[in-house]
Amino acid sequence: MASDVAKMKGEITKAHKAVRGRSPLQLAMGRFMRNPLAVAGSIILLIIIFITVFAPLFTHWSPTNPDIMNTDAGPSALHWLGTDSNGYDNMARVLYGGRVDLTIAFAASIMVMVLGTIYGGISGFLGGWVDNLLMRFVDIMLNFPFISLVLVLEAIFNTSNEWMLILVVGLTAWPGAARMIRGVFLQLREQDYVIGAVTIGASRMRIIFRHILPNTLSLLTVLVSMSVAGYVGLDAGLSFLGLGVPPSVASWGAMLNTYSDYISLSTKPYAWIPPVVMIVLTILSINFIGDGLRDAFDPQSRS
Amino acid sequence: MATYIIRRLLGLIPTLFVITVIGFLMMHAMPGNAFEALVFNPKIKNGAALYHRLLAQNGLDQSLPVQYIHWIGNILQGNFGISYNYQQPVSQLIGTYLPNTLLLAVTAEILILIISIPIGLYQARKVNGPFDVSFSFIAVLLYSIPGFVFALFLLFIFSFSLGWLPSQGTISASGANAGSFLDHLQHLLLPALALALPSLAGYTRLTRGYTLQIIVADFVRTAKAKGLGSKRIMFRHIFRNAIIPLVTQFGFDIGGLFGGAILIEQIFTWPGMGELSLNATLNRDYPLILATTLLFAVMVLIGNLIADILLAASDPRIRLN
Repeated sequence: MASDVAKMKGEITKAHKAVRGRSPLQLAMGRFMRNPLAVAGSIILLIIIFITVFAPLFTHWSPTNPDIMNTDAGPSALHWLGTDSNGYDNMARVLYGGRVDLTIAFAASIMVMVLGTIYGGISGFLGGWVDNLLMRFVDIMLNFPFISLVLVLEAIFNTSNEWMLILVVGLTAWPGAARMIRGVFLQLREQDYVIGAVTIGASRMRIIFRHILPNTLSLLTVLVSMSVAGYVGLDAGLSFLGLGVPPSVASWGAMLNTYSDYISLSTKPYAWIPPVVMIVLTILSINFIGDGLRDAFDPQSRS
Repeated sequence: MATYIIRRLLGLIPTLFVITVIGFLMMHAMPGNAFEALVFNPKIKNGAALYHRLLAQNGLDQSLPVQYIHWIGNILQGNFGISYNYQQPVSQLIGTYLPNTLLLAVTAEILILIISIPIGLYQARKVNGPFDVSFSFIAVLLYSIPGFVFALFLLFIFSFSLGWLPSQGTISASGANAGSFLDHLQHLLLPALALALPSLAGYTRLTRGYTLQIIVADFVRTAKAKGLGSKRIMFRHIFRNAIIPLVTQFGFDIGGLFGGAILIEQIFTWPGMGELSLNATLNRDYPLILATTLLFAVMVLIGNLIADILLAASDPRIRLN
């Protein structure tokens, strides 16, 4: 008898699953996978991540142990992309450099999103004078000259490692994200299901975490993917100016900085073109993924 | 319209005030100051005494609020102070460096407009045609390449490999046509292109998008029904309406172009505001830091203001709000 009931239950859930179809997330993933550019972008990004994470598989040189017998060497069988003036192997710097660049870009964009969600969420949910005051400050910070802010924050926090650079980028770039997320919160706050939750007496915390935040996740995913691309460029640009991670740390921007003088630019393209190609490929693939995610989560945005 | 502009201008004052306060506080939070190195200079006898004298001379021994009030009082009288590092009045320094940056940014803006608008219009006319599809792809490519990377490639191709264009400075130091208009133009072309190319893609996309929105509007169909030529419809009816949001976007981006110019200036050794503000921050040149921060903020605000005014000019509902 008891086994019969269990059997029936199992059949019911099986039938249930077959009928229920696919969740919105699964539908979005399906749309994403049918977008050829987005899939190509994902594959390229995965390859880049793979070769940077498993860099020791592709080169036996270390990015921090110089080959002092062969400084400033051209491409050879020993050093495929030559060495720089300190004797660091350029191939190793390109491969390992991606670790630093990608970590900074992803971590900074997550930090920006967390700061932006907290700030924008409070502002949008509470509304009224709190919202006015908080948004005033965002307006001011958006008008604050970006490069000056980065420079000053870098001096204050003494960017001697990549984590400080992440902090600086996060502290500089959050206002844009905060404004966007505030807009979404304002919109969602007026939705029927939120008003319904208020009427049945759900607490503010419950409304925010159970009802509003999950609905911002798709937008956040798109924002993160778009901003990661921007931060790869920003980080490379800052390192190129000599303001990013210190030159001793292997990163693509720092490599460009080493070869940024006019003589190296004209005579050693083998050394500076590979990191440039890596930067551009990374940004390009992330942009394709971002476009694909946006279209997947919001099919109407396509037209 | 005039009252709207005046109201907006007055609204900028508190924003600028808060920006200078934040800038001032952060500037003093940076470790070290312009004169500290003198204490450790072995060639200077009694460096510590000199250091304290210089601090007192420049008012740096006073409390921060006093210093700020002193600075803002001077600003209101048009006195930006004297740079510690260059030993010149800050206003004079800005007078020599700002025109270079303005020249670069304005040239880049003109390049963006005259290249991206025709391309976007043409794309919208033949939607999903071969040109549209291929340029949409190229646009993502252009958009994904940071400006300084463009700068490196442009330098490598046109300066070093082909030798067509100079690689640095604003004019040639010597030669037959040094200092002529053509010489200026040759020096300007590469940095302006490097600055323009990344935004170019974005504007092409915007032009295409806005034109496509308007092409299906009722008044366009009416114009067609009246029997107007397609050129006339394109320029009199569609283009005029499509350009409004574009110009607005343009105003918002002026500040971004100025920020982007810093990197490009560094690569082309272009003597502009980028060099000035970088050096100011690295040398803790307080009067110069404040002046450049203020100037960059004013540029962003003026850009936003132009955008808002253009938007108000095109849409009366905004003016009344």
